[in-house]
Amino acid sequence: MAFIQTEKLTYNYEGNLVPAVKEVSLSFEKGSYTAIIGHNGSGKSTLAKLLCGIFTPTGGKVFIDGMDSSDEEKQENIREKCGMVFQNPDNQIVSSVVEEDVAFAPENLGVEPKEIRKRVDDALAAVGMTEYAHHSAYKLSGGQKQRVAIAGILAMNPDCIVFDEATAMLDPAGRREISAAMNELNKRGITVITVTHHMNEAAMADRIVVMNKGEVAMDGTPREVFARVDELRSLSLAVPQVTELLYDLGLPEALHASEAADIIQKEIEKKCH
Amino acid sequence: MLKDITLGQFFPGRSLLHRTDARIKIILLAVFLVFVLCAKSAAAFTFVAVCTAVLVIISAIPLKTIIKSLKPLMFVLIFTAVINLFFANGEDILLQWKFIKIYREGIENAIKMVVRLTCLVTGTSVLLTYTTSPLDLTDGIERLLTPLKHIGVPVHDFAMMMSIALRFIPTLIEETDKIISAQKARGADFESGNLFSRAKALIPILVPLFVSAYRRAFELAEAMECRCYRSGVGKTRMKVIKTRPADYIFLGISVVCCVGIFFLNQVVIPF
Repeated sequence: MAFIQTEKLTYNYEGNLVPAVKEVSLSFEKGSYTAIIGHNGSGKSTLAKLLCGIFTPTGGKVFIDGMDSSDEEKQENIREKCGMVFQNPDNQIVSSVVEEDVAFAPENLGVEPKEIRKRVDDALAAVGMTEYAHHSAYKLSGGQKQRVAIAGILAMNPDCIVFDEATAMLDPAGRREISAAMNELNKRGITVITVTHHMNEAAMADRIVVMNKGEVAMDGTPREVFARVDELRSLSLAVPQVTELLYDLGLPEALHASEAADIIQKEIEKKCH
Repeated sequence: MLKDITLGQFFPGRSLLHRTDARIKIILLAVFLVFVLCAKSAAAFTFVAVCTAVLVIISAIPLKTIIKSLKPLMFVLIFTAVINLFFANGEDILLQWKFIKIYREGIENAIKMVVRLTCLVTGTSVLLTYTTSPLDLTDGIERLLTPLKHIGVPVHDFAMMMSIALRFIPTLIEETDKIISAQKARGADFESGNLFSRAKALIPILVPLFVSAYRRAFELAEAMECRCYRSGVGKTRMKVIKTRPADYIFLGISVVCCVGIFFLNQVVIPF
């Protein structure tokens, strides 16, 4: 069984007629890097919360490392395995001091003081915030706050981190910081699932899941998904700008600027000869 | 203006006060409050002021910060001073102009009130909030109140609530500033009109502030659950608090100072 596996996963917010997530069956391998995209109200955030056990499904099942998220006794273990970084950095920092905030999760788990110290130092080093350990959290920039929030999750030693639009409230510099951190975490073998509106961020993942009206509309590598420009447009989603440019020029698809430059150069050379 | 409010903020540092056990500091604060409120004679007030100054010095908090923290209090200080100055009754009339009479006791009371309020605010912030990180504070309160656990008081939850409240003060102040700007941009007027219409003008600030505070609370609760918060069951601490001999010496000195006030109250310095 894959690390996270969903079987006909359904979630219905109380009082809503239409479920936010409808019979979604997906699996996420250990160490994979997945982006979930979709327009507002497509159920992507709800799906993210189901994947790390914050919401318990109203129908179907989610298995996280083999544990059923509807099983109340397993909830604590699931939370330890699979952490979540939220959109607003201010609303997930519990303590005013950076290192104390990072220590919050291991303290709750009852880890030995010496081990907590080690985990906090490691987590802060992993996100490059060691020098801010004794700073007041509220004085940091958005990107830095979000990195502290990531460190706070890392200190639990999770296998998987779900980012719920973690870059939505950040400026471009902050977004780059967080994207770099996601890449770094994934290289360390942590399963990364990121819900995002930014197509360039999604292009960095190994796999993209497109959500529409609570269902999976597309699922594949960024190259496969972004090749279907017209379909994405009909779901009111964009593709990365370079991809869109080449598509409109009628050239083969590209995900990154350097790749696009090569294709355009070749095309120009061909035309000149 | 709102940015000047430093209440509940923590200034990380390594001074003696920063390193003192939070429990001791909480007890000290209680002692200090009694100490300030019991002072009556001029000698006692001088002593209170000196003690507060000593606390500020050992806390290593910049004087600028302290003065800034008193700014929002200015109105209250001036108001009490004026009230005491003009409405106190006494025997020695120093100045009389039409119906205004200023008594020597009035001036004395005014000075005493100002010193008392300044010392109360400065002492509280220097002793506790400025030098104690919220988590230490929570821990200190929790440990001090532990006996109450036996009669079913949710001590841990109470302490956690307090520390979160302190943590969110700067965030909510920032938010209030933003809301005020947003409402001003929509043409809201906070500066003119009588007291009643000004109070009414606050409603468009308070409503969005409350709504946003609720939203924040829900999100924070979710984030805390994500980090395995279970209301103190089996919780450990990264920093193990130890009460050092220096802490007890500190406490001893403060208690002596407090008792000293009662004697100083008897000393009358000729005015």
